[in-house]
Amino acid sequence: MFRPTRRAALLGSLATPFLARTGLAQSKEPIRIGTLTPLTGAGGSYGPAMVKAARAVADAINAAGGVNGRRIELQSEDDETNPDAGVRAARKLIDVGKVSAIIGTWASAVTTAVAPLCWESRTMLFTVSGADSITKLPHNGYIIRTQPNTELQSIRAAGYLADGGAKRVFALSAQTPFAVDSYNRLAAVLKERGAEAVGDVVYDATKTSFRSEVDQALRAKPDALFLNGYTPDVTVILRELYRAGFEGRKFTFGYAANAKMLESLPPEVTEGLISFSPSPDPGSPAYAAVKQALGTDTPDTYSCQIHDHVSLVALAVAKAGDASGAAIHDAVRTISQGGGAKVGSALDGLKALAAGQDINYEGASGPCDFTERGDIEGCKFRFEQVRAGKITLLSVS
Amino acid sequence: MLADALQLLLNGLMAGAVLAVPAIGFTTIYAVMRFPNFAVGGMATVGAYAGWLANTRLGWPAAAALAAAFGAGAAAGLASDRVALRALRPSRGAAGGALAAAIASVALNIVIENAVRFVWGNDPRGYDLPVYRDWRVGGLRAGPQQVENAAFAAAAMAAVFLFLAFTRTGRMMRAVADNPQLAALKGMDAGRVAMLATGLGMGLAGFGGMLTGLDTSIDPLTGTRAMLSVFAAAVVGGLGSVPGAVLGALVVGVGEEMSLLVLPPSYRSAVGFAAILLVLSLRPRGLLGERAF
Repeated sequence: MFRPTRRAALLGSLATPFLARTGLAQSKEPIRIGTLTPLTGAGGSYGPAMVKAARAVADAINAAGGVNGRRIELQSEDDETNPDAGVRAARKLIDVGKVSAIIGTWASAVTTAVAPLCWESRTMLFTVSGADSITKLPHNGYIIRTQPNTELQSIRAAGYLADGGAKRVFALSAQTPFAVDSYNRLAAVLKERGAEAVGDVVYDATKTSFRSEVDQALRAKPDALFLNGYTPDVTVILRELYRAGFEGRKFTFGYAANAKMLESLPPEVTEGLISFSPSPDPGSPAYAAVKQALGTDTPDTYSCQIHDHVSLVALAVAKAGDASGAAIHDAVRTISQGGGAKVGSALDGLKALAAGQDINYEGASGPCDFTERGDIEGCKFRFEQVRAGKITLLSVS
Repeated sequence: MLADALQLLLNGLMAGAVLAVPAIGFTTIYAVMRFPNFAVGGMATVGAYAGWLANTRLGWPAAAALAAAFGAGAAAGLASDRVALRALRPSRGAAGGALAAAIASVALNIVIENAVRFVWGNDPRGYDLPVYRDWRVGGLRAGPQQVENAAFAAAAMAAVFLFLAFTRTGRMMRAVADNPQLAALKGMDAGRVAMLATGLGMGLAGFGGMLTGLDTSIDPLTGTRAMLSVFAAAVVGGLGSVPGAVLGALVVGVGEEMSLLVLPPSYRSAVGFAAILLVLSLRPRGLLGERAF
């Protein structure tokens, strides 16, 4: 008779990996992709939807027979919006999970910390982080980003503020790798346009009160504030600005001024807040797929970008006929840009590739054309304003 | 410049008053049970959410919601203490000493934080209270909400002092904190006192968590973010000393703000730790010493 003893349990658990191994060996090796998104921490509002969007693409590809008969296996880890946790999770994905690509890193600090692990192990890193410094790392082509970098974003932000008549702009920035970069860029563009950047405060986002920082900003007598932070700290700062009676323009990133933030603040506090974000391509079939996967009419840009990450990996693997990180690295630009037939989804792309055609993938986040450094060549931005507690679209350009 | 310094002093005093409430909770638990219970961070979050539920779902005003925050912090604190920490308490002669209990409390804090995240998600929540414009007096700025928070904090502190000084139970707690063996000889039930201290301490943590949230907004990390400053306040004032926790909180609060005169704001967190280092090198037992209950 079998009696469950500690020894039996131990033997059983030791045997489990072998069972899994022999099970897998019967089919072809899967294509292993790791999602490393913020499920918790300051980016925690985005990570869960990103994983869902990534899983939807993988499921669709698997349901249609996979990539050359190979399944896509997604492994999801939480970077906690924290570089230490991000590095631990990336190690696990690379060393234990044997992934050939990590996708979806969100906070620039996390991406910066994780990147060396990736290029040293020849694992492709697809990111949605914006800091300029990221693609300037010596990554040998192992980083691709679908998010416009800080330079592009700051130029557009400064241009928008100057066009709108702002003369004195002050920046309140959370401490991030791109805080100083973006202020310098903002200042340069404002100067060209006849306006002025009158100072910046880089604050510690883990604090619970930013009263003194707001005082410091208002002493410079700005007519516009650039709030370069994340949702929790920008929420607090907006309250402080209302209390202090600031009546000028308030300008922030779309990822900070999300619907959840508006729910947590009274409408008079958020009134007039302008936000901008890289705009997905609402006309693309890939965008429609993300909408369906998330069950919303307005999927966020990161979900659109991670949708493209999975698609790019699948198409690159199909093109190369090899699922290693190095193969994806070599093949990704041959399917994302160039003179091939334009395809709007991974499934169409896989069919075209199987028919021997060249393809140019255009995704949910935009054209997905990459420079040598790994930055996108261009994208649209959407500018929105909060009116009576609701986000209203100003323009997409 | 002088006006700036005065404004920072004012901000610091208000922040310090709010910080003092969970710091008293932390130090009370230390005084009776002789280990730093880092789960106060989690209880601050629990209190903040309980107050938020009472305020937004039941429509309670701030003062009543604060009472709910106290109650929820105390209840969650007692329950989690019973499950996770009681067996490890050094005052019960557990083998691991204060370190094992302290580490377990860090783990407990993470569990609680994630339980809150599991139920309500990561998104920031705001209390359903009007946001008022600040008052301005002679170049200084103070918010009605800030002043109200400082008043709530002062009321809570006064209640704790009265309780410890004049009630029989309060005196019993001080006796056990002062000398557990002697208190046991006199027939005091150390287990009951420990429960009382946990309930009071964690209740104050919940109260403090909601006070922090009233001025800003809350998310699952609300308490954890405040934890380091709470710890700094208690250590600076003298671990185990209630007046010390108040003094320490004011020192840390004012210190963090006043540092802005010479340091960029991104170094604010470092000030609390600099204060710990400085005070402990000059007065290893904290400003007021550990036994000054």
